[in-house]
Amino acid sequence: MRRGLMAWDADELPRAALAARLARLREAMREERFDAFVIYTNIARGAGACWLTGFTPYWNEGLLLVPADGEPLFATALSKRVAEWISSVMPQGDVITTPKPAALVAERLADAGARRVGVLELDDFPAGHAHTIVTAAPAVALFDGAAAFHCARGAPDAYELLLIRRADALARQSLAASVGSTAVDPLALVARCEQDARLGGAEECFITLAPDLSRPGGFLRADRPHAFGATFALRVAVAYKGAWSRSVRSFASDAQMQQAFALADAALAAFSPASSSVLKREVESTFAHIGTVFDWSAEQPRGSYALATVASADGCAEGFDASAPFIINVDAELAGARWRGARLVEPRA
Amino acid sequence: MTSTAFAARQGALSEAMQRERVDLLILFGNNWHADHLRYAVDFGIQEGQGIALVHPDGSSVLMLDDPAECARARAEGLDCEVVFAPALVREARGRLSRAGNRTIAAAPFHLLPYGLLHGDEDLRVKDGAAIVERLLMTKMEAEIAAVRRAAALADEGYAVFRAAARPGRKDYELIAEIEAFFRTKGVPENFMIIGVGGQEVRGMAPPGGKILKEGDLVTTELTPCYDGYYAQICRTLVVGEASETQKRAFDVYLEAMLAGIAVTQAGVPASAVAKAENDVFRKYGLGVYTTSEYTRVRGHGMGLFPDQKPQILEDVHINLESGMTLIVHPNTYHPDVGYLVLGDSLVVRENGSEILCGTPRELFSVM
Repeated sequence: MRRGLMAWDADELPRAALAARLARLREAMREERFDAFVIYTNIARGAGACWLTGFTPYWNEGLLLVPADGEPLFATALSKRVAEWISSVMPQGDVITTPKPAALVAERLADAGARRVGVLELDDFPAGHAHTIVTAAPAVALFDGAAAFHCARGAPDAYELLLIRRADALARQSLAASVGSTAVDPLALVARCEQDARLGGAEECFITLAPDLSRPGGFLRADRPHAFGATFALRVAVAYKGAWSRSVRSFASDAQMQQAFALADAALAAFSPASSSVLKREVESTFAHIGTVFDWSAEQPRGSYALATVASADGCAEGFDASAPFIINVDAELAGARWRGARLVEPRA
Repeated sequence: MTSTAFAARQGALSEAMQRERVDLLILFGNNWHADHLRYAVDFGIQEGQGIALVHPDGSSVLMLDDPAECARARAEGLDCEVVFAPALVREARGRLSRAGNRTIAAAPFHLLPYGLLHGDEDLRVKDGAAIVERLLMTKMEAEIAAVRRAAALADEGYAVFRAAARPGRKDYELIAEIEAFFRTKGVPENFMIIGVGGQEVRGMAPPGGKILKEGDLVTTELTPCYDGYYAQICRTLVVGEASETQKRAFDVYLEAMLAGIAVTQAGVPASAVAKAENDVFRKYGLGVYTTSEYTRVRGHGMGLFPDQKPQILEDVHINLESGMTLIVHPNTYHPDVGYLVLGDSLVVRENGSEILCGTPRELFSVM
């Protein structure tokens, strides 16, 4: 659950910025002849509603109804008393708490005479809510609105960019704090890292670790004891006011390996692809002089996902937008040792 | 690496599927509702979404749409096939269409992705609640052992919380300290909300940057997770010396919690526990504060989900069973002091309950 700082700051996210986003979505809705738009949200899929309202439910779920005009409505199963708090941290949209959010949305759609309703990621929309809506509002037909939403969202505006940078700074600082810590136990290292991010105002923080990079396998959660190898890596994802970033750093105990890792860190820091068509080539050329790239991927916000894989070495991911910031994840071999890194990359001006 | 509790769950799930004559069970999950997946395949999902297809013989396949989560699931050595499925719904639907003419059930049914059931040809899938919900509510001893350990961690966590609370600190700084403590203990998740202030505070929420000051009530519920199982503790502290009004108010909550615990035992409906708690408030003329205007529930079940059935409310008539793990918490608004909380986790037993929390039931003061 979200349990870090959740607060709205008008300087960070003015109402006017949210109103502009809403206007963009409505323009896209008109293109698709949608009478209304519905976005499902919970902590795992909060990015869509958060982009329009600045709010992610800390728990439970909700539906954001965007009518053709007027205020959006956030209907949530969170308890009645929480509505006042939600209003204080959600600068755009009215809040109604109800045990049956979909029934309320259906009622509003029926009252408005809506027929064509766009749903962000219809295939992923909870079937129970869809059933409630089409049963209670039989004139309504649901259509996938992912393309319309994507078109409206486009590249981040100046306010979203600042929030992403803040999240990124928290992720990088927390990793730096762990470097400077004296923790010898992996769990203590994760704790130090998370503490730093949350003290800095992180809304959420996911930390996983690869305790021994000489062993095969992915990043693990800190839910069991681990022993450090000679090389290890930490992977940190941080949310700040709904904006996410991810950072990965590899560590070595051996001085020679530290030097090799520092070279790779520098190469990653300098990574700045010219265009999406050359992403693969640029990843490989960036690390060509210091090692071999095993795998890489790029992540960006996509629909209701804060970070979705949009490009990858195996080519199975798609949707990379070269005009927007992205997270580049790299898995490489350097001087016989595995190294992993990730950072936020901003597009060239 | 499988836990003792997981091994027990596998057997119980197989039995339940055979009893309900279900050939295939679809379980859906994400970081919010991770309990169904965790029950069947022992994976605590952190990012993205997942679907598991489970057979009565215990064999299963777990599909995950996040590549890092997929790599983690494989590294954890789960006792199932793990598949990276960037198009999760399409992958699952493809596998289901190859499943043939079988009896298929799914849970949690209302959260199942729309595209899984509706497409060129609608799939006939029944609600799997009858199979899974009872298993989630009533725990086996191996599961209770994990809840017991989580409750001990909640006690330790509250001690850290008390030590962190002092005038001048921001509410989210307390959360930073507690989370750091839990990570050192191998606790990957914690459900936690907080309230800081006085009469103006009507509930708990995530921290908003409030600074603790003399006289504030600081309420929290900590819900750490051990081996997938959650246990909760609710306590209130005062920054500085508690006033007589605060002490008198706290005494009502203590009496209400004890009354609720006193009637808790197998065979008693959840409503009876709520009534016992609420009657204490009514006795003191505070009955209105037991309504949904001021409070949500008077307790709830816990396990692989931090807030599961049965909810402790006067209109919930589910009979308590031995092995259910609950928290009894008469948390609500008090007109003289603001929102106040007190609650202990317990295991329902045949002739009473086993209290899992050891933190003293007091209104703490921190200087």
